[in-house]
Amino acid sequence: MGASGQSCVKKQEKFSEIIADPTVRERWEKVRKYFFLRESTYDMTNRCNIRCEGCYYYEGDKQFAPENKSPDAWRNLMDEEKKRGITYVVLAGAEPSLAPELCEICFQKIPLGAIATNGLKFIPEAINYKIHISVWGNDETSFKTRRAKDMLLRQIENYRDDPRAVYVYTFTSENIRQAREIAQILAENQCRLTFNVFSAPVGYNGSLRHTEASLKETGNIMTELMSTYPEAVLYSHYNIVAHTHKLGLHELYSCSYPRMNPSVDIGLGRSFRQYMTDLTWDRAVSCCIPDTDCADCRHYAAGSAVVTARLFRHATDPYTFKSWLDYVDTYLSVWVMGYEKGKNLCDGPVPPPGISDNEQG
Amino acid sequence: MPDEIILRIAHMMIDELKLEDVTAETFDPDIDLIDEVGIDSMDLATIALIIRDEYGIRIDEDDYPKLTTIRLLAGYIEEKLKTAQENN
Repeated sequence: MGASGQSCVKKQEKFSEIIADPTVRERWEKVRKYFFLRESTYDMTNRCNIRCEGCYYYEGDKQFAPENKSPDAWRNLMDEEKKRGITYVVLAGAEPSLAPELCEICFQKIPLGAIATNGLKFIPEAINYKIHISVWGNDETSFKTRRAKDMLLRQIENYRDDPRAVYVYTFTSENIRQAREIAQILAENQCRLTFNVFSAPVGYNGSLRHTEASLKETGNIMTELMSTYPEAVLYSHYNIVAHTHKLGLHELYSCSYPRMNPSVDIGLGRSFRQYMTDLTWDRAVSCCIPDTDCADCRHYAAGSAVVTARLFRHATDPYTFKSWLDYVDTYLSVWVMGYEKGKNLCDGPVPPPGISDNEQG
Repeated sequence: MPDEIILRIAHMMIDELKLEDVTAETFDPDIDLIDEVGIDSMDLATIALIIRDEYGIRIDEDDYPKLTTIRLLAGYIEEKLKTAQENN
């Protein structure tokens, strides 16, 4: 933990003093340029070319929304989104690569964004969004939970040397150690990798759900992989803290997505919408991964907004602030084309601020 | 005192958020910072940190939505300073 972990300083320091350190100031100035990002998410189609256990899309009512395939309707929607200040789009369910013409319309209108895909069908290069390719374990596990053969090989071949691609390894309680072989393969193929933590859909009682012990083991493997493949793995120690804590993201940081946040005055509560394939949205269910059990949410997409939004509470001491900067730097490198991650400023964990000692993991 | 705080906050906003075409003196203290200036939660959090440094008070994250103008921010600061004085 070096000069770091033990400096979980309780004394509150002035913000101006914290950012007086040139390294901290440089990183602060680097990340704050992106404070203009305002996201919303869009389901592009209700079709998918595989069926995965625990898939968020095929939970709840959104899967039954009819598809609006009209290019004009999508153009109009994106124009309206721009007008209300949306600067970043996340194209998700069910499988956006099956609706590339609609993805391209989104890119032409709002040029910053990401696409969540299983990576089995190549998304044309003209759509210059980040491409998040989901990986759920080794091929044996993929076949079991996703019913698709040779997934990783096919994903790598589709996106070889593609600067848009980031592989997102989802840790379930059953595939934790498999992350070692996946990370090795991805690193050998010069691929970039980040981590997600399985967050159960509402009512899910299957075996993928995490326990306190599996979260701890997940954190240990994440730490090991960050150290073994520093060039390939886009992550930080504070990401590990936030996403493998025994408390979920909502309890740790108070989720700011509309589904859990009644305020419509500012931030995500004001601007975020989650559109279904018929281009309607419902504030009551709007978040980046609808139909997730909020108490179990440790999803990487949720954290990217929820942890990032909590600037104030992390500006208490240099180490806590550096941890937050590492988190935001990681988030931007995963989600924004052209943003390159810097070296992590912290070499160990710091507890989430505002959580009592007996609730710390 | 409130006018002084209003002017100081206007300076902070302009400096920190790199606002153009406005000076502290011409910044309308009643303009809606969110709807009309385009400030969002991360900008407000940044301003809250500068205010914490300068006045030694904490703006609760839950209070951000209420602080939509410079005048409201100034009133909030004044109130907190008064409470702190009374407690000392």
